[in-house]
Order: sequence, then structure tokens, then C-alpha cells
Amino acid sequence: MSADPVWGSLVPAAMVGTERHPLPKAVLSGPVGALLDGLPDGDAATALLRVAAVLAPCELAGAQGRPWSSPLPPPAGVESRPAPTDTVLLAWSLRRGPARLQHQVLAALDAQGLRLPTALLPLALELGRHSIALRAPLQPVLGARGLWLATQNADWRFAVGAAAEADDDLRWAEGSLDQRRDLLRAQRQRDPAGARERLAASLAELPARERAELLGTLWTGLSMDDEALLDGLRTDRSREVRQGAIALLVGLPDSALARQAVARLAPLLQPRWTIDAPAEAPPDADGIEPVRPKHESLGDRAWWLYQLLRQVPLGWWPRHTGLAPAELLPWALATDWAEAIVRAWRDLLSHDPQPDWCEALLDHWPGKLLRDEPASVLALLPPARRERHLERQLRGGTVVLSTSMQQVLQSCPVGEGLSPSMSATVADALLDAARRNAFLADHGLRGLLPELACVLHREALARLDAWPRHADETPTLVELLATMAQVTAARRALSA
Amino acid sequence: MTLGAEAVLSLAPDASSAKAARGLVSPGQWPTLGANPQAVWGECQGSGAKPYQTQVDLSGPSFRCTCPSRKFPCKHGLALMLLRAEQASLFKNADAPAWVGEWLASRAEKAQKQEEKQQARAAEPVDADAAAARDAKREAQRWARIEGAAQELQRWLADQIASGLGALGTPRRAAWQTMAARMVDAQAPGLGQRLRDAADGIGQGADWPERLLHRLGLLQLACEAIGRRERLPPGVQADLRTLAGWPHDKAEVLASGDRLRDHWTVLGLAVEERDDKLVERRVWLQGEHSGRRALLLDHAYGGRGFEQPWLGGTRVEATLAWFPGANSQRALADEIAAPHGEPAWPAARVADEWQAMAERVAACPWTWLHPMLVPGAVPLRTDAGWLLVAEGRALPLAVNEAVGWSLLAHAGGVPLTLMGEWDGRRLRPLSAWGGDGLWLRGGE
Repeated sequence: MSADPVWGSLVPAAMVGTERHPLPKAVLSGPVGALLDGLPDGDAATALLRVAAVLAPCELAGAQGRPWSSPLPPPAGVESRPAPTDTVLLAWSLRRGPARLQHQVLAALDAQGLRLPTALLPLALELGRHSIALRAPLQPVLGARGLWLATQNADWRFAVGAAAEADDDLRWAEGSLDQRRDLLRAQRQRDPAGARERLAASLAELPARERAELLGTLWTGLSMDDEALLDGLRTDRSREVRQGAIALLVGLPDSALARQAVARLAPLLQPRWTIDAPAEAPPDADGIEPVRPKHESLGDRAWWLYQLLRQVPLGWWPRHTGLAPAELLPWALATDWAEAIVRAWRDLLSHDPQPDWCEALLDHWPGKLLRDEPASVLALLPPARRERHLERQLRGGTVVLSTSMQQVLQSCPVGEGLSPSMSATVADALLDAARRNAFLADHGLRGLLPELACVLHREALARLDAWPRHADETPTLVELLATMAQVTAARRALSA
Repeated sequence: MTLGAEAVLSLAPDASSAKAARGLVSPGQWPTLGANPQAVWGECQGSGAKPYQTQVDLSGPSFRCTCPSRKFPCKHGLALMLLRAEQASLFKNADAPAWVGEWLASRAEKAQKQEEKQQARAAEPVDADAAAARDAKREAQRWARIEGAAQELQRWLADQIASGLGALGTPRRAAWQTMAARMVDAQAPGLGQRLRDAADGIGQGADWPERLLHRLGLLQLACEAIGRRERLPPGVQADLRTLAGWPHDKAEVLASGDRLRDHWTVLGLAVEERDDKLVERRVWLQGEHSGRRALLLDHAYGGRGFEQPWLGGTRVEATLAWFPGANSQRALADEIAAPHGEPAWPAARVADEWQAMAERVAACPWTWLHPMLVPGAVPLRTDAGWLLVAEGRALPLAVNEAVGWSLLAHAGGVPLTLMGEWDGRRLRPLSAWGGDGLWLRGGE
């Protein structure tokens, strides 16, 4: 508006006041100018208001928007998948359901060859923006419209990538980080050498975070053929990449690094069995940092031992000592270097989750020595052994019910569920608690109910129908139970 | 009639009711569900021992529920209609149970009594001359007060301009509020509201001085027009009465207003929560045969809901009676039939829309909102905000992020026809059609 010479000339007089700033004569041609010229006389302030009284309606009447000459973005592509017809439970699940349910409904859409309805796309993209775990099941159900929409918002860039149908080379060149990681992992399964070469050729141009992320795909199909590339990465600029490469090399028991670490450990470990820490820092080139980080709880020597042990493959221990993991753990905890040893072993389990070691660690949980929860080690166990451990714990009643249930959830990866028999055990434990009206006071436990309804096997869902109700339930509890019922309904609809 | 989910949610008295209703759309929470051609009903398990009995008379739709909520319609009624919209198969066709049948019967009876009463009133003889004389005297008194208020406001405005708008600190803003209150006392609350709106715009955005002058210019025009009211045409006089905040009597509008029966397409619906739990609803209609547009403006207090249900994207046969005015848009609806059939989405040309808008401004410069139909329109999100581009021109859109993205997702870069309210600066989109079907602005 201020571009208009007439308004522009009125504003200074109106702001400063006509007492101090004279009203300039409006110069306008045509009928509006004639109208302004014909206004009755009055004091300066009234004269200004009268000019505004003429201009305001003229401005309103003359509006037509601003000229627009920039090109418009290309429209969204044609959809290859249909959208579902019944969207009520889908919408509820995405709007209000637990994260696990969101994961499940998206995966179910994909399995049925459907895409998200248009109206839910902004919500779904916003969910994917905040939850990295949700992006994988979200990507295939976005459809052409969802991919188009993601290009319109910088916050939704994660979903922008090459079309899912594009060939590997194009997806590698143009895809998002998630897409490239998935591609590399898939290629490692059928062609490990090809995937390694693809990654090696791109390393120089990738930022540190992406190098570290994509390096992780080498765990799939890891073999001695990868040693040369990994050895080269031990001197990478990024600490994260260096540590990732060392972890991978330890995953190769025959690698030079692992053999060197074993050789270094041998003199420190005396038969029947005592262990000592290195007296001085090993040479830096081994990937062992001589200086402790500021807030490290280990002393200098323990810090060196910890780093050395992280380079000794777990499999070496039973071979060398003749002791099983279930015997090694009590031994380690009884030594002076307990924290260094169990922390190193726990770290190694992340990439080499040997079930016997995991169970031994759970059975001899070192408490505060580990900055970790049993649930994260439980998550490393194969489902059957994880459930066996938890079922024993639930039956034994030695652990508080809410803690056990928390572990059930935390150790069950998103996108997976419990077996029928484990589900029955969990459902019965919950029903038993409900009969005792335990949910009235146990806020920790009742908060888990909606999410537990997500992991139960669908055969066990029917058991929840017999949920005993009580007259003294609080409004919050009633609402939680309604949410649980809604989750159950949504999951039944998924499997229908 | 079956309503879509978005249409049902547009009946919600406020956003929290819509949200709560969504949470109840689970068959598990409805032990019984039933329907017949007149009504749907269901029992919803709430926090109490006894389930709530919820029913909807589809001819309205009109709602009734045994829950204690003050909201109308309540979340149960909305959830019931949502279930009906999305999972019709859950409803067993059945005879209405007693608690439904009795209500339907009592509604029919009430409607009949109302009609009889009206007929009786029409037949009643009145002393027309005496009443008219009393009314005329009262009217003359009120006009005199409004004219006095307009003169006072005009002097006060000139004082503000003489001493300058630049120094509008807190004490002077308080003076603006005082002046607005004086307008209310002088029975011209409409002028007071316009002054308050102008004060609220002070300091908002870089171009506020121009916009403030624009508003003061329109106020100046209003004051001068009120002063020479008797020399203006009757239509403009009626507009001035509305502008001063002196509403026209609805019964009178229905009886003597300009009436037209047509099939009306509900072009768009705007529901805004204002201060003090006041909800304003604007329904924009276009006649299928007449091509005439109309605005139904209603207010509801304290979440009580609106007397007449109107749904975006429906087709309704009704008689409209327009309020008096030089180019009045506002009308009242009468003799409303149940929504029926596919709505006729009108074709439009951008140039005609601007022309019609300019003519409305020429007839009544204080027209606050203009209905605009923009064909071939592409909504965009740019660094300069949300825009609507059509025929090489761009209009700023009045949307929040949620509404903007919802519209963008629906359009997908494909041109569609968009209906919105033009306030002189920005277009507030209410509905759009073409491409993927119908888009309706949801509750915010």
C-alpha cells in the first residue's frame, strides 16, 4: 500500500499530526481525483480523514491480487496404489495411538498394497519428522502425493528421495540417507563385495555422520574381504567412523587388529585366572586413546584395559580359558577390574549379541557398574530366549510387575510382537492385576496398557475382553482403558 | 442422508468436542447401534455404570444424549454420526426402541404446535396504526442518539489526526478503548467495535499506519453518512443501521424481507471461537437456479450449538429472506428441507468475481467479508507465506499451518476451484473442489 503515492503522502501527516505536518495536496487523475478535488472544505485533520474515506473503498474495490509470474511447481504424479476406504481407525491410530500402533497400521497399509489417504499425509509426515523409527514403514505408503508434499516443506525432507521404483544407481545418487542405508544393506546380503565397493567409492564425498551411518551396513555379510577397507578407516578424520571401523574389525576374529589385541592381553591374564591392567598406555595407533575423557569413572589403567578388551573378540574367552560365559561373569565381577571388563563385554555384545553371553550378563547383572538397563540386553536376545527369560521372571514374581512389563516393552523392537504363549502370560498377569484393582494406584503400570495392547499376539487380544471393571475407577483410568480398547479394535481391524 | 466425516465434525461446537468425538469412534465402546431411515441411535459406555443413550434425528440432524455434557451436540452424538459415516455396516436396521421413538414423536409434535402458533399469530388482528406510531417514535429516538455518537466520534477522530497517530502509547490506547465504550453507551456498539478493531491493529505488521488510516477512513465515511442519513437511499440507511450495531428484527426480516426459494449449495462454512465462549458461524450459500449468493450469520453462546444445522458441501432446499441493505448478502433461512442430492458446484470466472466484489463495495463500502470463488487456483507455500495463484495473480491466504498443509495435500499442485472469504487483504479458504474431490476447512 505504501507503494501507492497517495496513501504514502497521507501517512507522514497522519503520524506526526496535521498540527505540525501540512497535508500534501493529493494528486490523482481520473474520477477518483475529481472526487478528491470536490471534497468539502474543513480543517486539515478532517480533510485528511475525508481523503482516507474516499481512498479506502476505492482500494477495496480495486483489489485483484499481486501479479505472479514465477513458474508453479510441477503437480504430484499419478498414484499407483489406491487409498483405503475406511479411514476412521487409521486416523485414530495415527492421531492418538501409541507409536507401535502407528508403526503397525502403516506396515499393514503397505502389506495390503495401499497408500495413506490424502487428508492424513500432513499428519503422517509430521510423525515421521519426529520419529526416525516410523520413517521406514511410512515411506512406501506416502504415494505420489505424499512424496510431492514432502518436497514442499523443508521439515519433511527426510521423505524426499528418489522414487521407490528407481534403480539402485539412481537411488544411491539421489536417495535420502535412510534409502541409501537400506539399499546398501540389501546389496550386502546378495553381493557383499559390490556393496563394499559402492560405499568405498563414495566415502570421500560423504559427511562424517553419513560415513559412520553407512559404515554400519558392513555388519551385514561381514568377512575378511572387508579388512583392508576397515583398516584404512582406522585413521578417518571422524572419531565416530574410527570407532565404527575398529568395532567391525573386532567382529573379524582373524583380523590383524583382533589378533594384536589378543597378543597384548595374553601377558596380562594369568592362568586360573587373574587379570591385570596395562601399566602404561599402549601405542596410540592401536585405536586406544591414552587420555581418559573428563567424566570417565575408570582410572587411567582401567581405561586402557577397557579399551583393549573392547578389541578382543568375545569368542576368544571361552576358547582361551575353558570357562563358559556363565562362569566368566562371576569371575570378572570378583576381580579388581570388574567395571572395565563388564563394560567392554557389554559394548561388544551390541554388535556380537551371543545369547549365552547375554543371558549370563542378565543372570549376573552388575548393577550400577553398567550405565545400562537389563531391557537393552534383553533386546539383543533372539525372541524365544528373551521371552523365556521374561516368562521366568514374571512367574517368579521377584521383580515388580511394572518393571517386568516395562522390560517386555523395551526389549521388544518396534514392528515386532510377542509370541502367543508369551502374550497369554502377559495378558493373564494384567488381568490378575486388574482383578486386584491394582491399576487404580499403580500409575506406572497402567500407563503401559495401551502399548502392551500393541505387542500382544492377536490371539491373546480376546482375553482382554474379559477385563474386570470396578466402580471406583478414576476418570484417567477409564480413559486409559478406553484407549486400550481402541488399540485392540484397531489391531483386530488390521488382521481382519 | 449420509454425511461424510468432515461434514459431521463441522457440526462440533468447538475443536475439543471434535477431538473428543474422534476418540469415541470405536465399535467397542458402543454395545448397541441401530438405525432406521429417520434416525440413528446407540448406547455408549461412559465412565458411569449406565451407558449413555445417544440419538440423532437425521432430518436435522438434531442430537440428543443422556450424558451430562453442556456441549451441543456432545461428543457422543458426533461420534455416533462419525461411525455412521465411516462404518455404516455396524448399524443394524431396526425398529426404534422406546427411548428413540418417544423422542422422535415429541419432536414432530413440537414442530406441529409451533406451526399452529404461527398461524394463530398471523390470524390475530393488531392495532397496526398505534403500534407503528410507537415504533417510529422509538426509532427516531435511537437514530438521534446514534447521530450524536457519530458526531462525537468524528470530532474525536479529527483530534487524533491533528495531534498525530505516531505517539500512540498505552495511555492513548486506553483513550481509544474509552471512546469505543462511549459508542456502546450511545447505542452504536457497531461503531465501537470498528474503533476497537482499529486500535487492535496498531503496531501490528510493518504497514499498520496505512491499514489504520484505511480503517479510520471507513469510520469517517460511516460518521458522515450517518449525519446525512435521511438524504440516502433506504438500502444504504439499512446498511448504516447494521453498521451502527442496531440489528434488524429477525421476525421482520422473515416476514417482509426479500424472499427466494431455491436449492442452495453450501459453498463454505466458517466457525470461529471468539471471546467469552461466543462462537460465530458463517454459512455461504449459492442458489442452484437463481445463482444468488447469501450469508447466514449465527452466534452461539457457551457451547450450546446452533439452531439450524448447516453442513459444508451439501444441497439444501430452503427459502431465504434477505436483510435490508443496498447490496445485502446476509439472509435468514426458513422452511428448510433436509439436505438432499448432489450439490451443484457453480462455475465462476475470476474477473466476474472481482467485479461482483467491487460492486458490493460500491453499494456498501463497509462490507466486511466477500465470498470469492477462484477457479483454476493453485495453493502454494512460499517464503512470503501461503498464496493462491490463479490466472497469473497471487492472493495471500489466511490459513494456519494445519489448514495450509491440509489444503496443499489435497491440491497436490493441481488447479482446483476454491471458495473463500476475502477480507480486503487476504483470502480465507473454506472449501475447494476439483481434482481429488471436495476439501472442507476443518475445525481449528
